[in-house]
Amino acid sequence: MTLVRESSAAAPARPAVRPRRRRGRADRRPRVLVAVTALFFALLYLPIGVVALFSFNSEKSLTVFGGFSLRWYRAFAHDDVLISSLGTSLRISLVAMAGSVVLGVALALGLVRCRTRLGSLAGLVMLVPLITPEIVTGVASMLLFKGLGVALSTGTVMLSEITFSISYVTVILRSRVAALNPEVEEAAMDLGATRWQAVRLVTLPALLPAVLASAVLIFALVFDDFVLAYFTTGVDPQPLSVRIYSAIRFGVQPTINAVGTLMLAGSVCLIALALFIPRLFGRRGGLDILSGE
Amino acid sequence: MDATDATPAVRLDGVSKQFADSYAVRDLDLDIEAGQFFSLLGPSGCGKTTSLRMIGGFTDPTEGSVLLAGEDVTGLPPDKRNVNTVFQSYALFDHLSIADNIAFGLKRKGVDRAEIRKRVAEMLELVQLGGLADRRPRTLSGGQRQRVALARALVNRPAVLLLDEPLAALDLKLRRQMQVELKQIQREVGITFVFVTHDQDEALTMSDRIAVLNAGRVEQCGTPEDVYEHPASSFVASFMGTSNLMTGTYRGGEVALDQGPALPVGSRPGITDGTAVSVSVRPEKIWLSDFEPGMSKLSGVIRETVYSGPTTTYLIELAPGVTLSVLEQNTARARMEDRWSGGETVEFGWRPEHCLVLA
Repeated sequence: MTLVRESSAAAPARPAVRPRRRRGRADRRPRVLVAVTALFFALLYLPIGVVALFSFNSEKSLTVFGGFSLRWYRAFAHDDVLISSLGTSLRISLVAMAGSVVLGVALALGLVRCRTRLGSLAGLVMLVPLITPEIVTGVASMLLFKGLGVALSTGTVMLSEITFSISYVTVILRSRVAALNPEVEEAAMDLGATRWQAVRLVTLPALLPAVLASAVLIFALVFDDFVLAYFTTGVDPQPLSVRIYSAIRFGVQPTINAVGTLMLAGSVCLIALALFIPRLFGRRGGLDILSGE
Repeated sequence: MDATDATPAVRLDGVSKQFADSYAVRDLDLDIEAGQFFSLLGPSGCGKTTSLRMIGGFTDPTEGSVLLAGEDVTGLPPDKRNVNTVFQSYALFDHLSIADNIAFGLKRKGVDRAEIRKRVAEMLELVQLGGLADRRPRTLSGGQRQRVALARALVNRPAVLLLDEPLAALDLKLRRQMQVELKQIQREVGITFVFVTHDQDEALTMSDRIAVLNAGRVEQCGTPEDVYEHPASSFVASFMGTSNLMTGTYRGGEVALDQGPALPVGSRPGITDGTAVSVSVRPEKIWLSDFEPGMSKLSGVIRETVYSGPTTTYLIELAPGVTLSVLEQNTARARMEDRWSGGETVEFGWRPEHCLVLA
């Protein structure tokens, strides 16, 4: 009796076990890892979320949420100093973007095509700014300007930002330049274009998606930058990040929350744009901002 | 013959190209007549692409000069030469439409718009791409892209068109079709074509003249028949199709093989008795069991029978270490059961003039 019952129970049990095992292998999700991941994102975004939330606070308090209002956005709109700083930051970002993209693209073209020992050395040196602590580049820039007797101003911020943004542009562009078919430029010259016309009419259009993506990235990076700006800016006008820092030293105003939230929104839009641009050009898949591929 | 007719469309005069410490091309002399379909044929690394690039102006020779229609263009950049190139990778401009790709050269020259539109339309017609004018290169097939590359070059009416293995990326069937089409287009437009290829079939099918290159030098230059039927060296004989190459010693109208019998050969002035030579017999020039008077007759053992549709190849051992490949047509007259099989001893032969002596 018992034997029969066991065997009859075992037979239908087998197929029931199999799918469960298969699912277990494919979708195994140890709870610990899920928790760690959740914690990571919480720690990453919670402070930002708090800033965004309190920018809509109707109270002046930074700890008690009194209700929804646009009071601090209004305050920001009427704060002439902050508004002029925003203007300064936008100007710095635009100039740094234009300057570093032009120089960075030229450097990328040069580094890929110049296959001498000096060229590969330059390619390595080019990477140094990416790993140098920004505080070092900041202090170094300041000392350089002081040593040369150049008064710190918006212009010195622009120069420093351009200098240290070139590497990003070059890193993004270099792999794209390397992936170009050299015969395409030769074809342009074969068809009567001079060397410069070939670059302008054929090479640059082929690089355009990566150029635009790197431009957007540089704009966002420079706009957000504090350290380099702090060391190289003059007293007035000051970039927004430096202005916010000085303001916080005299007690945190909720206006800052509103400014921070607006900057965040702006940056998110730019990054989204950078990811979207390659699709605009009909390239399959998105563009990896760091590799430019 | 008047003077202008005698001026070659392209002349390479003692041209060398040295990279680091090796020569890609060495002391090359070449005349290409106007209106010809001229092929530069050779294995990879023989210098054929380097030669083409020197004609196009993409590479400067380290020695010698390049002449186009009698004019020295050595050192001139590509945009200053009246030649155009069809690149191996096609090198189309992906950001431009097909029509704009083809119009690129004319726009550089400042041809007026109406004229450009007319000539682009003509070209699209010539390469059978009418209706694709507004498409982007990425959306085209390999064969269509190849035609765009051809049209983009031809629309400028260059004196010479350079083609760098333009059919290499196409599949076999399309390649055969394009070979015929390219030849027709060349006849139609009458432009000198300089065609680089490593495919001897392609060169034989399409060319008026072929230069066989090896290790940066011209081994032989002549018509397809010339090069195939009368190879000037054992390199040419083995590179052009299949050859049965044997080594031996020349003595009084015969070559005594190092291994095997003495073979009667065609007269070859300039070779003295006792010279070590190679002899070559094409597989399709060998007769099996059916002879004409005056033929050299030999016998050997069938080692292998390879049936490949229209032909059957026999590998026959003439002497230890000397195996000849013999090609037989499987025509309506040949009966299947007539074929020899391995191990049988057969008689075979050839006309003495088909046994070529190569120094």
